[in-house]
Amino acid sequence: MRKKSISDRLLSVLIWTAGSLVYLFLTVPVLVIVLSAFSPNAFPEFPPTSFSVRWFHEVVSNPEWMESLRISVILLLIVTPLTVLLGTMASYALARLSFKGKEAVQAFILSPLMIPQVVLGIAMLYLFTAMGFTGSLWALVIGHVIIGFPYVVRTVGVSVSNLDPRLELASMNLGAGPIRTFFRVTLPLIKPGIIAGGVFSAVTSFGEISISLFVSSPQTITIPVRTFNYIEQTFDPSVNAISVIFIIISIIALLIIEKTIGLSKVM
Amino acid sequence: MRIKKKNQRFHWFMLLPACLFLVVFLLAPLVMMFVLSFRDVDSMMNTLQSYSLSQYLHVFTTDAYVKAIGSTVWVALQTTVICLLMAYPAAYVLVKAPHPRLRAFFYILLVSPLLTSVVIRTFAWIVLLSQNGLINGMLIDLHLIEKPLSMLWNMNAVIIAYVQVMLPFAVLPIATSLTDMDRHLRPASMSLGAGRIRTFFHVTLPLTIPGMITGAIIVFSLAAGSYITPLLVGGRMQPLLPLSIYQQVMQVYNLPLAAAMSFTLLICVLAVVSLLSYLLKRWEARMHA
Repeated sequence: MRKKSISDRLLSVLIWTAGSLVYLFLTVPVLVIVLSAFSPNAFPEFPPTSFSVRWFHEVVSNPEWMESLRISVILLLIVTPLTVLLGTMASYALARLSFKGKEAVQAFILSPLMIPQVVLGIAMLYLFTAMGFTGSLWALVIGHVIIGFPYVVRTVGVSVSNLDPRLELASMNLGAGPIRTFFRVTLPLIKPGIIAGGVFSAVTSFGEISISLFVSSPQTITIPVRTFNYIEQTFDPSVNAISVIFIIISIIALLIIEKTIGLSKVM
Repeated sequence: MRIKKKNQRFHWFMLLPACLFLVVFLLAPLVMMFVLSFRDVDSMMNTLQSYSLSQYLHVFTTDAYVKAIGSTVWVALQTTVICLLMAYPAAYVLVKAPHPRLRAFFYILLVSPLLTSVVIRTFAWIVLLSQNGLINGMLIDLHLIEKPLSMLWNMNAVIIAYVQVMLPFAVLPIATSLTDMDRHLRPASMSLGAGRIRTFFHVTLPLTIPGMITGAIIVFSLAAGSYITPLLVGGRMQPLLPLSIYQQVMQVYNLPLAAAMSFTLLICVLAVVSLLSYLLKRWEARMHA
């Protein structure tokens, strides 16, 4: 190995500085929100002068926020099992089947991630108006499932590709049918991918806005939609407290994903 | 062989629900919208039964919409280029982190924004950039400026927020291709006498082009199709196609025009994405040749 020259070292320092600055740029907005949420004043200041949980108190004592929280949680509880079911089945089938046009089917299944969100939103709005669904919670459920289940397809795909197909063959050679083999052998082995996908889709549903804004009604305002309305109409600092709740949830989700299939494999 | 056949039937049966779901709730509405985009409307914005190209003509003959198409693509391209430039050192640092703990820390910084709602991340930029926001407050405290600068409600604010929201999507594929890159190639090139900078341009960069193109595809299609971020930090009046679509649907109620604009947007995004995918395929073929 060559001895590092001074210019090489300088280059290293330069790259590391640039890289660290980029991570700082990613993090600053989050820090700002946390700072503002615990500040007693309506407008944030730096450095902070005092500490208060006033905005959290305001959120908890506001029936509108609590109603939205209820709707968002109900939604998440319906959406997550559905995405997990659809996504796991599709992902496993895609891994095991080989046929002409498989790539096209795969692209079709992941397409909700590529279609412009505004187009997806008005397509949903149009469909639900035609079906007479507007304003019902089901419109939100369907929209969130469409957005969320490609993530499950991906994470389960990671787990299936790590799975040795010979284990399934062994089970079937011993006389178990494909269904029994799936539940007894495959499912326990791909559980990490399923859990990670479920967490991903739950968090996605909880934060979804692009479709929700089009298909929600005054009776079904989710937390992100209400947050959007508050930001657009007034400068309400209690949004900061809501944001901190979102950040905490995302960190918990992160830890679960890291424990199950590892962060580096999801994306 | 019998086992295989039985298995296949089971696998097809498992693929079916997801495909049916998408056909009914994604493909069908898109087809319905496509048909709708050829419908005429009367002066009360009621959809008529007749078909024509009038909505598309309206889109392509109205100066404001033509300008919106151009600036949507331009803003998305700027966002993509800035994201790639920033993503490269971030991915490099992530892959070369000397300690697994540090690498995990960088991963958390990268992925946690992806799990936080876009509304929240955009809101943070309002807090930072507004007239009585943090940046103005600090600049005034430092006596660098006397009156607060207006940094919100323009296209630059949109691009800054976009870059922050979409950066992780660019970093992750580049990091993957850096990791996949044969670890022996770089030392080999350097031991043959090439300097670090030459090694970078002749070995590292060409091998990470696929990761950069993958990142560019994701960032471009997200930046061209979002309306939440521009609405919150740019304001309703910015000339962006997603904002025009939102307005036609929520305020003007001209659904056929909104449908025609949506397909225009979809085709713009598809055109750029196909071009990038084509480049990706060509590059990979060249690398493996």
